[in-house]
Amino acid sequence: MELLLFDAFNGLIQGTFYALMALGLSLIISLNSVINFAHGGFMVVGAYLAYTLAPYIGFWGALFAGPILAGFIGIIVERTLVRYMYGRPDPIYSLLLTFGFALIIEDVVRTIWGAQGLPFEIPSALNSPVSTTYFFVTGYRLFVIAAIALATIALFAFLRLSRFGIRIRAGILDLETVSTLGVNVYLLRSVNFAIGTLLAGFAGVLAAGILQLAPTMGDDVIMATFVAVVVGGIGSLLGSVLGGLLIGLAAGVTTAYYPAASDVVIYIIMAVVLIVRPRGLLGQEGLFE
Amino acid sequence: MTDAVLKIENLQTYYGKSHILHGVSMEVAEGEIVTLLGRNGAGKTTTLRSLSGLTPPREGRIEIFGNDTTRWPAYRIARLGVGYVPEGRRIFPNLTVLENLAVPMTRPGPWTVDKVLELFPNLGTRRDSWGRQLSGGEQEMLAIARALLVNPKLLLLDEPSQGLAPLLVREVFRVVASMREQGISILLVEQNARFGLEVADRVYVLNDGQMIHSGPARELAKDEERVRALAGVGGKEDGVLTAKPKTSAA
Ligand SMILES: Nc1ncnc2c1ncn2[C@@H]1O[C@H](COP(=O)(O)OP(=O)(O)OP(=O)(O)O)[C@@H](O)[C@H]1O
Ligand SMILES: [Mg+2]
Repeated sequence: MELLLFDAFNGLIQGTFYALMALGLSLIISLNSVINFAHGGFMVVGAYLAYTLAPYIGFWGALFAGPILAGFIGIIVERTLVRYMYGRPDPIYSLLLTFGFALIIEDVVRTIWGAQGLPFEIPSALNSPVSTTYFFVTGYRLFVIAAIALATIALFAFLRLSRFGIRIRAGILDLETVSTLGVNVYLLRSVNFAIGTLLAGFAGVLAAGILQLAPTMGDDVIMATFVAVVVGGIGSLLGSVLGGLLIGLAAGVTTAYYPAASDVVIYIIMAVVLIVRPRGLLGQEGLFE
Repeated sequence: MTDAVLKIENLQTYYGKSHILHGVSMEVAEGEIVTLLGRNGAGKTTTLRSLSGLTPPREGRIEIFGNDTTRWPAYRIARLGVGYVPEGRRIFPNLTVLENLAVPMTRPGPWTVDKVLELFPNLGTRRDSWGRQLSGGEQEMLAIARALLVNPKLLLLDEPSQGLAPLLVREVFRVVASMREQGISILLVEQNARFGLEVADRVYVLNDGQMIHSGPARELAKDEERVRALAGVGGKEDGVLTAKPKTSAA
């Protein structure tokens, strides 16, 4: 029983990371119409920048600075590269571009910080187990869940309540009409891309406190993130959150019974969802069927 | 006409390789209501898309309020004071009525959210409904309200009466006519030739991407035969020259 709880809890943590990554990816797919294979790369960049800055500005400062810098780099990348993909009906171009960019990020990180894993210090106050029976429930893990929940709520509040957020939601379905209403849709897309990469950077910093920093840390997450988006339904942000949590938990629970299948189970879930409900759990009708 | 708010010359517009507009020219003077008629596929929507910046012409020149806007992006043209009510309304279905009204970049001017809800009281009672829940008439009101929030000096309307019940059509045209008193110039695309000619000062008729007629609206309004010949609108029903049916319902 305890083992099951342990694995389920781990799965939940994994799931919150997938959810946060999938949220950003989903925003970018929806408004920028670009399938961002470099999304994991932005996660890595956020983590390493936080690692480098932490000695100067502390863990808390780095927790904010890392993601913000990842968002800033996101704007630069969008302005200089990604925007040339807009209006190309064939997604192969954006796939090739972002896939290539993901490889470049990985190599740049390897060149600057080395291929070896690096430890990321977290405040000791957060590091101790909160209970002796459930040793795996550390303060930091609870903190991660709370932080991701907070970021998710903040994003949804932004999209619901701010004018900028409302325009992003409008643009997801009809960017052309948004532009005829005087909204600078170029800026809207840039900022949206940056919000997506900022969320990836945030996931990266939080993940660094649990795992180690490694140039490849994005690779393990990116495929699961895509699965989360597809399972949740392309175009649905809430679906991405659900999809992420679902596949994380499923992988965790599978680990308890049959560890070898834990990687495969998420693809099985995806296959089942695509067969039973091609639009995904909360996706819009008509997008894929 | 010296005080033209809109002047387009020799527009050549394409969708990819298909050449749609073959040298379209027209003018709208300040305070004027101009109606653009034409058969299905004549290029009316394409004309509006060209001058609102959505499908820029490959050749020709567009001048709005004295600015050469031929190569401007749509949002800058809107910010100049051009309101656009697109064909099919294109309400944001995933946004509430109030959220739909929060999308426009509001220029300073008389129109505010409160004011447009005063103009269309129906929308006020449905302010928290989703766009997709609105009836055709409500969607049309919302599309006009949304465009008014830009505080336009020139309003482009693409078939505002499309798919609406006669009573609503009358309501829409009452509002359109009242815009003139607000100092807004209007370019109206219509299939409902009777109403289109009734409110307009002047009329243009487009066919196969070319202007085949321009003149005072009153003249043409008296001559239904001529309208039918030029604009190809269908048979007579209760004295109304009716348009082809379109998909969205009232
Ligand atoms: N996106 C597009 N790609 C290619 N061709 C198009 C596109 N949109 C319209 N067309 C073609 O351009 C021509 C003009 O279309 P347009 O929509 O401007 O006509 P319209 O006068 O507005 O007609 P309607 O009364 O049916 O709205 C038509 O032949 C149409 O098939
Ligand atoms: Mg049309």
